[in-house]
Amino acid sequence: MNESIQLQLEKAPNRKAYLSTIALILLALLVWSVYGVNLSGFDQRGTQIASNIIRGIINPDLDFLFNLTSAGVPYLLFETMAIAFLGTIFGSFLAIPISFLMSPSVVSAPVAYVTRLIVIFIRTIPSLVYGLMFIRVSGPGPYAGVLTMSLTSIGMISRLYVDVIENLDRGVLEAMTSMGCTTFEKIRYGILPQLFSSFLSTTIYRYDMNLRDASILGLVGAGGIGAPLIFAMNSYRWSEVGSILIGLVVLILIVELFSNRLRSRLVKG
Amino acid sequence: MKLTWYDKVFKPKTYTLSNGKEVKQRASRTPIVLVVVLLVTIISFEVTGVDLSLLRTRGHQFFVILLAMFPPNADFFSSIWGPLFDTIQMSLLGSILGAVLAIPLALLSSSNIIRNVFINGLFKFFLSVLRTLPTIVMALIATFLFGLGTMAGTVAIFLFTLSYIGKLMYEHIENVDMGAFEAHESMGLTKVEAFRYAIVPEILPTYLSVSLYAFEGNIRHASILGYVGAGGVGLLLDERLSWRDYPSVGMVLLTLMLVVFVIERISEYFRMKLT
Amino acid sequence: MIEFKQVNKTYPNGVTALKNINLSIEQGEFVAIIGLSGAGKSTLIRCINRMHDINDGELNVNGVNVSKLRGKQIRAFRRKVGMIFQSFNLVTRTSVLNNVLISAVPDLAWWRKLLGLFPEQHKVDALEALDKVGILDKAYNRVDQLSGGQQQRVALARTLAQNPDIILADEPVASLDPVTAKVVMDDFKRINKETNMSILLNIHHVELALEYADRVVGIRKGEIVFDGKATDVTQKELDMIYGSPENVPSMDDPEEADV
Ligand SMILES: Nc1ncnc2c1ncn2[C@@H]1O[C@H](COP(=O)(O)OP(=O)(O)OP(=O)(O)O)[C@@H](O)[C@H]1O
Ligand SMILES: [Mg+2]
Repeated sequence: MNESIQLQLEKAPNRKAYLSTIALILLALLVWSVYGVNLSGFDQRGTQIASNIIRGIINPDLDFLFNLTSAGVPYLLFETMAIAFLGTIFGSFLAIPISFLMSPSVVSAPVAYVTRLIVIFIRTIPSLVYGLMFIRVSGPGPYAGVLTMSLTSIGMISRLYVDVIENLDRGVLEAMTSMGCTTFEKIRYGILPQLFSSFLSTTIYRYDMNLRDASILGLVGAGGIGAPLIFAMNSYRWSEVGSILIGLVVLILIVELFSNRLRSRLVKG
Repeated sequence: MKLTWYDKVFKPKTYTLSNGKEVKQRASRTPIVLVVVLLVTIISFEVTGVDLSLLRTRGHQFFVILLAMFPPNADFFSSIWGPLFDTIQMSLLGSILGAVLAIPLALLSSSNIIRNVFINGLFKFFLSVLRTLPTIVMALIATFLFGLGTMAGTVAIFLFTLSYIGKLMYEHIENVDMGAFEAHESMGLTKVEAFRYAIVPEILPTYLSVSLYAFEGNIRHASILGYVGAGGVGLLLDERLSWRDYPSVGMVLLTLMLVVFVIERISEYFRMKLT
Repeated sequence: MIEFKQVNKTYPNGVTALKNINLSIEQGEFVAIIGLSGAGKSTLIRCINRMHDINDGELNVNGVNVSKLRGKQIRAFRRKVGMIFQSFNLVTRTSVLNNVLISAVPDLAWWRKLLGLFPEQHKVDALEALDKVGILDKAYNRVDQLSGGQQQRVALARTLAQNPDIILADEPVASLDPVTAKVVMDDFKRINKETNMSILLNIHHVELALEYADRVVGIRKGEIVFDGKATDVTQKELDMIYGSPENVPSMDDPEEADV
């Protein structure tokens, strides 16, 4: 065997120990969590309820599903959409300054770090807790939902905005400097056009998620379709549950389809 | 240039160059988009009854509960760590199971792996529908089926993780360059071998990174599942909030923040190494 | 020895890519295949290792009728035929050495395949192959950190480690700069001389083809219109293969311009 080949063979990085350690830790964690979760099988009533749920979804309460008054599914969905919409708009506006404060390429590293820390903490408080706090401000209802959504969507939106800001194409700015543009011109024609469509795309993406999350808020009385859904479930009115779930699933699928279209249009310009 | 309905309403502008060539510029879509957004905003204001002046007059009420949490009740910590471990265990088990089962579903959804449009469509649709169901609703249903407790929470997290990773992975798999796969087939490898050596190395880092990210998020999700009786630290939050024992709530949130922070750090460290 | 006898190939969508191909290539020949885009060069090459099936005629490689092979036999046969691609087709997110080791995969035990472990002897073979193309020092780099020329040499090493009788190369230098292209072509030439492997390569760069190949095959619209020594090719032959300039579709062509 050639000497240089022998040499190269010995240089092989050995990651077996490292990888097996990680695998072992993972396995230990898995075992630990299996022991921790009390793995119960189906409750005795479980099968009964499962069949009730399926029956309810197959035979939804059609009156409720197509009832156009403010007590019907369409209006509730509409209200949920409105909550998510305003929550997203407010959240994305609030996220703009925060995201700049989080970008290490805009502000100094310590400032960016502290802002990030604060945002992580804001994000960790469950939305239901915020819901309770905001109900003190606005009283129960969709308004509290909007305020909650605005706050909870900041975390993720600003994190995505930061990625956009960090990935700005600096070549354009260089080119503009070489053309003799002022700072204002560089921001207006070099930075904003790049940021705008990416920010918009992020916002639309978040709307999707907010629509999904908006159904949680009903739990604390902050409006939307969540309250009637959970109420119907707790009182075993499965055909009503079926109507709401069908409405929700169809709505979210449609919105997702639209938002994907819109976002790919935005990317292509 | 293809004309859409929009161009027929708002005629494109035509410029004539000095050499006689004509260039058409489409009318900008910005104004109409702005009008639509404005309209939707106004309608949403009406529907939700948002009244911004209320923020000025009653905004301070938001901080009432927040301030009442200080100083957090440190003695309460001894009752926190049990449910907290429940939450972590629920997320861990749900995430691992979800991540593992997501692999076959993602493969069945990928048109470049399973060449059957019907099967691909079916599984893609299944994953999409699963994704539309809010975690808390799944948790509630699970409590009906499995009784109150951590099992219900684990099932909810499992289903959420499954749909999340499944969708991201099939999108990623469909974008993998099949060149190496082809090359391996040309070297006499079976399809399974070619998959193992050409596709797996390309998708494994992304898969691990997405799974870690999902786990990270699941800890946060898991903390509210207790609200519907699906076990974990949310149960405690719900209880203390309804007793208005805000210092204890503050302690729970503080602990949760620290745990989430530490887990995020660890997960971020490994995700950085993966890319 | 590769032998085409009256071979025809029509794709499922109705395009006839090869018409009445008769061609015979001896062991150890260095053949360049030239022709316009869409002439059928890739199709010709890919029929040889059964990446595509032929419709009629007979195609023999080293005395084996390729069309008759089934499943396992095809794979065993392909191990004796190496293939190089224009876009390298390497696994980019793993190391150079791991890519070269793929050539040993079919011989491994199942548990080794699962865990991705290779016996030492295979590693030595792979490193030797890397040494032959001069990138031994890059063995543990990730493929996506290499330049195009280096990547093509990794692909070449992967093929060499397979120890084939024949190397098929589909535009191996089309994505490389002129200097690197020459370096890679030199590698091909050297391997051809040292190991007596037959080399068939598709190439758009006529000068390179004439400089390196011993024999040139010209294809036009699925038919062989020229087959002879590289030294015999003159402008007249090239016009015959490529057609005179006025027949070449240009950007003014309404169909082409529509995209
Ligand atoms: N998989 C396929 N299915 C259907 N038709 C194909 C397929 N591959 C190639 N063809 C058609 O067969 C003909 C020959 O294609 P081939 O790829 O062999 O050309 P080529 O000479 O390699 O061209 P290029 O120099 O552009 O690579 C073309 O008309 C092409 O459109
Ligand atoms: Mg080709």
